[in-house]
Amino acid sequence: MNPALIALTPSDLVVASLFVLVAAGLSVALRLGLERRILVAAVRTVVQLGLLGLVLERVFAVRRPIVVVAMIAWMIVFAGREAVARSTRRYGGIWLDAWLTMTVSCLLVGGVVTRVVVGVTPWWEPQYVIPLLGMILGNSLNGISLALERLLEHLDTRRAEVELLLAFGATRAEALREPLRTALRTGLIPITNAMTAAGIVALPGMMTGQILAGTPPMQAVAYQVVVMFMLAAANAIGAVVISLGATRRLVTREGTLRLERLFRAGGARGRGKGRAVRRSAG
Amino acid sequence: MLRCGPFGARDGEGRVLFESAVLELPERSVTVLEGPSGCGKSTLLRMISGLLPTTGEEIRELGGRSYGRSELPEWRAGVTLLAQDAPVLPGTLEWNLEWPFRLRAADGRAFPRERAAALLEAVGLGGVAADREARSLSGGERHRLALVRGLLWDPPVLLADEPFSGLDRKMAEVCRRLLEAFAARSGHAALVVLHDPIVDRDSVRRIRMTPRGMEVA
Repeated sequence: MNPALIALTPSDLVVASLFVLVAAGLSVALRLGLERRILVAAVRTVVQLGLLGLVLERVFAVRRPIVVVAMIAWMIVFAGREAVARSTRRYGGIWLDAWLTMTVSCLLVGGVVTRVVVGVTPWWEPQYVIPLLGMILGNSLNGISLALERLLEHLDTRRAEVELLLAFGATRAEALREPLRTALRTGLIPITNAMTAAGIVALPGMMTGQILAGTPPMQAVAYQVVVMFMLAAANAIGAVVISLGATRRLVTREGTLRLERLFRAGGARGRGKGRAVRRSAG
Repeated sequence: MLRCGPFGARDGEGRVLFESAVLELPERSVTVLEGPSGCGKSTLLRMISGLLPTTGEEIRELGGRSYGRSELPEWRAGVTLLAQDAPVLPGTLEWNLEWPFRLRAADGRAFPRERAAALLEAVGLGGVAADREARSLSGGERHRLALVRGLLWDPPVLLADEPFSGLDRKMAEVCRRLLEAFAARSGHAALVVLHDPIVDRDSVRRIRMTPRGMEVA
């Protein structure tokens, strides 16, 4: 441990929890009706992070590659779940696509960053691999959910435009150019904004953490730059892979829409006249 | 000249709308597809165009050439659906006529600008600015725009789903003549679903849809 690090005690946390009580009190005073949710969220923060801390301490102590890999697989499953949970529209196969996307961005971006850029040895060193992959997954999740939301919304609400293009002989790629373009743009705007504002509007969280932990600022900056680029790639890969996966399931190669596979989260499949039609033996 | 089918569909409750529907269109003809509301006319048109999933066992023949499943985009370029409600793409009126000619399916054909101006004039859209946002057009204007787009594209077959809705009688008559002139040429045909049978019943071929198949009336 770095000698500059000031350890936090349980009593420090109790003092910090007063801040949450202030927020909840504000909600009561202003009748926002959020106090229950604020308290539940605060408890969840403590419990979830506490469990994570316990797990990480074990993983760091055990120091076995199989444990690190298992931990990463577990993170991928939950990141994929979260990405789908955020989507208001879903389609058959969305879970598989989300997990596949997460795995691709994890292996690709995570592999390059840990092996080539940072040069972690051994390759599974949990102190590096787990936080880096965690950030990659979090950003892939953003890319996935933003791109997916926009893409599925376009296919659902602007179906007539896609069909119009197809009706004149457009290929699948031609008919989906606009929905894919807007989906990818939407998926990439937040990380672009984050890179633009980095260090001016806000100190990036990881850099702040490293500086608090005693890392020399320029070293923290170097890490942050790597991380920013890594996150941009994770975002982009998330948005691209999920968009291609979704369009492949919802529009066939020959340009037949399979939007009966599209449904609203928590709602029934198939709405409207055109969608209620099922195929039958001709 | 065109032959395709058999198609079958069921409604949302699983009842059979139609079965074994096979459609044949002779050259130089306008065929009106008739049937009660909700009998699946639009569905059949969309199945012919291959926009709705089908069993994949149907045949699609046009002008002596047979089209397989993987050739659906080419099929649609030649058997083009003018969909119900006349959708438009975001963009100007002019762009909405021009975009098909940017598709791979156009095969290098140039946008017939002069004919576009003449057709717009004929359907009473000559006075609308070419840079007007197409989505701001009224329903009737969109239907005329859709018809002009189809006529400019000039495929062998047009499938038109209620192409004259929202038009007054006089304008519907103008559009009907344009569609008939299109279909009267060698190597061309049209299949039309009409809500309001304004077409002179004796001058066109009529097909009645029944749950068991198609009956030429």
